[in-house]
Amino acid sequence: MPLQTLIPLLIATPGVLFLMLGTIWLLGGHVSERAISRISKVIHVFLALLVAIMGREMWQRNMASMNVALGDWFTVAEYGFPLSLLIDKLSLPLVGMTVVLAGIVGSFSVRYLHRDPGFFRFFLLLHLFTFGALLVFTAGSLDLLVVGWEIVGITSVLLIGFFQYRPDPVRNALRVFATYRLADLFMLTAVFLSHHWFGTASWAGMFSGDWPSSAYKFDGAAATVIAVLLAFAASGKSSQGPFCGWLPRAMEGPTPSSAVFYGAISVHAGAYLLLRVEPLLHHSVIATSLVIFIGLTTAFLGTLIHRTSADAKASLAYAAQTQIGLIFAEIGFGWTTLAVIHLVGHAMLRTLQFLRAPSMLRDYHRVHAAAGGKLSPTGSHYESLLPSAVQIWLYRWALGRGFYDSIVERWVMAPVLTLARWLAIFEPKFPRQQPEAEPSAKVVETPVS
Amino acid sequence: MPVEYLTLPYLTTGLVCLLGGVVSSWRSGQPRKPAALAAAIAFVSFLGAAREVIAVGHGRLFDPLLPCFDADALDAVPMAFYAALTLMVVELAPKRDAGHRAMAGMLIISLATQIAYAAAGWTTLLSGWWLSCLPFVLGMFGVQHSTKLAIGLLLASCLALTAAVAVMHAETVGNLSHGGSLTFGLIILAVMCRKGVFPLHSGVVQAFEKGPLLPVALLFNGHLGVLLVAHSEASVLPQSARQAFDILSVLAVVSACIISIRAFAETKPRRLLAFLYVSQASFILAGIAAANIAGITGALVHWLALSAASTGLICIVRVLEVRVSSSENPLVHLGLAVKAPRLATFFLICGLALIGLPGTLSYCGEELIFHGTLANHPAVGITLLVTSAFNAINLIRLYGILFLGVLPKHVIDIPDALPRERWPLTACVVFLVLGGLFPGIIIGWRAETVQAIEKALGVAAAAMPQR
Repeated sequence: MPLQTLIPLLIATPGVLFLMLGTIWLLGGHVSERAISRISKVIHVFLALLVAIMGREMWQRNMASMNVALGDWFTVAEYGFPLSLLIDKLSLPLVGMTVVLAGIVGSFSVRYLHRDPGFFRFFLLLHLFTFGALLVFTAGSLDLLVVGWEIVGITSVLLIGFFQYRPDPVRNALRVFATYRLADLFMLTAVFLSHHWFGTASWAGMFSGDWPSSAYKFDGAAATVIAVLLAFAASGKSSQGPFCGWLPRAMEGPTPSSAVFYGAISVHAGAYLLLRVEPLLHHSVIATSLVIFIGLTTAFLGTLIHRTSADAKASLAYAAQTQIGLIFAEIGFGWTTLAVIHLVGHAMLRTLQFLRAPSMLRDYHRVHAAAGGKLSPTGSHYESLLPSAVQIWLYRWALGRGFYDSIVERWVMAPVLTLARWLAIFEPKFPRQQPEAEPSAKVVETPVS
Repeated sequence: MPVEYLTLPYLTTGLVCLLGGVVSSWRSGQPRKPAALAAAIAFVSFLGAAREVIAVGHGRLFDPLLPCFDADALDAVPMAFYAALTLMVVELAPKRDAGHRAMAGMLIISLATQIAYAAAGWTTLLSGWWLSCLPFVLGMFGVQHSTKLAIGLLLASCLALTAAVAVMHAETVGNLSHGGSLTFGLIILAVMCRKGVFPLHSGVVQAFEKGPLLPVALLFNGHLGVLLVAHSEASVLPQSARQAFDILSVLAVVSACIISIRAFAETKPRRLLAFLYVSQASFILAGIAAANIAGITGALVHWLALSAASTGLICIVRVLEVRVSSSENPLVHLGLAVKAPRLATFFLICGLALIGLPGTLSYCGEELIFHGTLANHPAVGITLLVTSAFNAINLIRLYGILFLGVLPKHVIDIPDALPRERWPLTACVVFLVLGGLFPGIIIGWRAETVQAIEKALGVAAAAMPQR
């Protein structure tokens, strides 16, 4: 089968599976746990096989990249939404990583979520997520990347609120969604401005040559604006810089989803975007400096909070944030190959850690016993170099998680809510004709026809 | 230019069926059946008209029996689509909303809207415009003391349009070339009152909050205000009109943004839904008023997507209210997804389609609107982008209030989507998703109108320097 067919097949498979399973369920059908787990295993093996064939073909033919143009999704006048897919030295490792890790997490979840009421929902969302992630990593244009980007975002939020009968996951899912949407604004603005100024948002239109030796075609302040917007968009997806508060909130979801989203794939999508537009970033000193600054400050904050976090998953989240911050800095410095190796290695390790998180204490005790009870605490070497007053100040700052939530609530949410309440002056209130019935918590709701 | 006719009297058949449905459901002991039958036949008739108009591809086709009605590329597709929405609402209406008066009232709204769509002259359009408000004024959905403002604004829109027509002395719809500033001022006032453009949005919000939800969905999803603006854009307008529509464009963008911010302070599902609806509906006006191909195409596509998605959402909210009385003003999250997972899923898909999730029809519509408005002025396009983000957050808030959280103790057992509800909602979701996956088909339906509007705009632009 030619590569031009394999790439669309790879991406479409999880999407079609999601649509089929979803339609069956909506129309009242039932799919058993066993059937779902078998279908998922078969699909993931199939996807892994496809990636292996693609990799082998590219290696044998010595191809640096493969572009598949599927025409336009829709066309209006001069504007067309290009459906083009790209597999190259950057996207192939990430596609492989996505397929393998999604398969591992799916296999793990069959047992982990056995008899959970949300079993079907989890797998439905996992397939949709796989589709979205594959689309992000193979998109041949910013337009198509946005599609996958949004799908990954919404599945992520729905899985954070997976345990929907508890108030905290619901609250945190909303917070994460709000952060995503605000960060996505930067991405969408970049896409539209790119079309507006350069008439294209495709990689082929923006860059010449194959990654990593590609060069940016355009010049001027407009390119800087787009680079800065994309840097912020990437920060949003990877929980960096001004958007660094959502990752620990996302830990409310089930452990397998935390592993695949926030340890492995979703959280690295921002780093992938920066790697993809790296020639554009290096075109602008402002954008490069911004990426390095965001990466290093988040890494510093993350490592401090990681050391003071009391719960395992939040601690892992901050550790992941730290490493992604370093990956951002590596991209900023132009060490792209190192960044890709770091990204893939980090994703693999973090997935393992997240999946082992529920039995972390047991693991620790086992290792402790195996070491003959001589396991000493680590990480106190660097702190001892600082004066004690600074140590205490940093400790308090880290315990308060950088006071990020308080800052956001006071300086972002409170003014918006005040404005929203003030806008009620445009809605005249008339005297009530009859007293409204207060919502009652005592009335028992019974089935109705 | 010779007058062309439809091969069969599709429009008369559709309108007569709806009228027959009004009479028979008024008299019947089981009003849902005749109402659904009438809506189904009307849908088939209007679909026939739409197919013929698209096949012919140009101009207006008059009805052979009643030449005061015609169908062109602008209104033929919405006619068939609106008939399908009517059928959906009739099927989905809970028993307590399906009394003979209510069913007759809903069919009157549908009939009136179809008359306005099919109108060949201003008098017919005006009669449809007035008739659509009649069921609310007559209290066919129960006494509505609390919706005086909403009814007042609806009547104000009727009066403004009547005055505009009286001042203009034009006969055929689409002939606005000799209108003055007063005429266009009145038309814009009529559109603002009807569509709830800021600062006149409180009427729509009140209608959603206190009024009968399903008839309100039918009333506002007719988008007669947009139809009027599109008709106006499709005729060669004088300079004064162009300025008036520029003002309307700015108002639409401001309206979308301000109302989306206002929604953050709201927790009642009906009001939150109203804010979402009004804000998203303003996108259509902003797109049409952008006066370029991308903007107009986006607006015409978004029109269909918004109507389908919002009708789905409104029906689900109503269905939930019937099942759980405390959902009208919940003190806490209701957590209904545990008991009604399919309704939750339908709600989520319709909601995400409303705010433009990729893969749904409104993504394509919004994308084109953004491109269209951005081409005119970047600030306008970016404001709409921000608004879309705010609306998405509000949608998830609404979903959270209704479906997530701890199930209140008083909700013991409620049924999930009944088969009667499941099929129309599935059809709605299929339309939104398939339309999103293959938007080229729907864009093709609207291409003729876009070309007509673009041609008219081009003629007006060419005429401008000479004046």
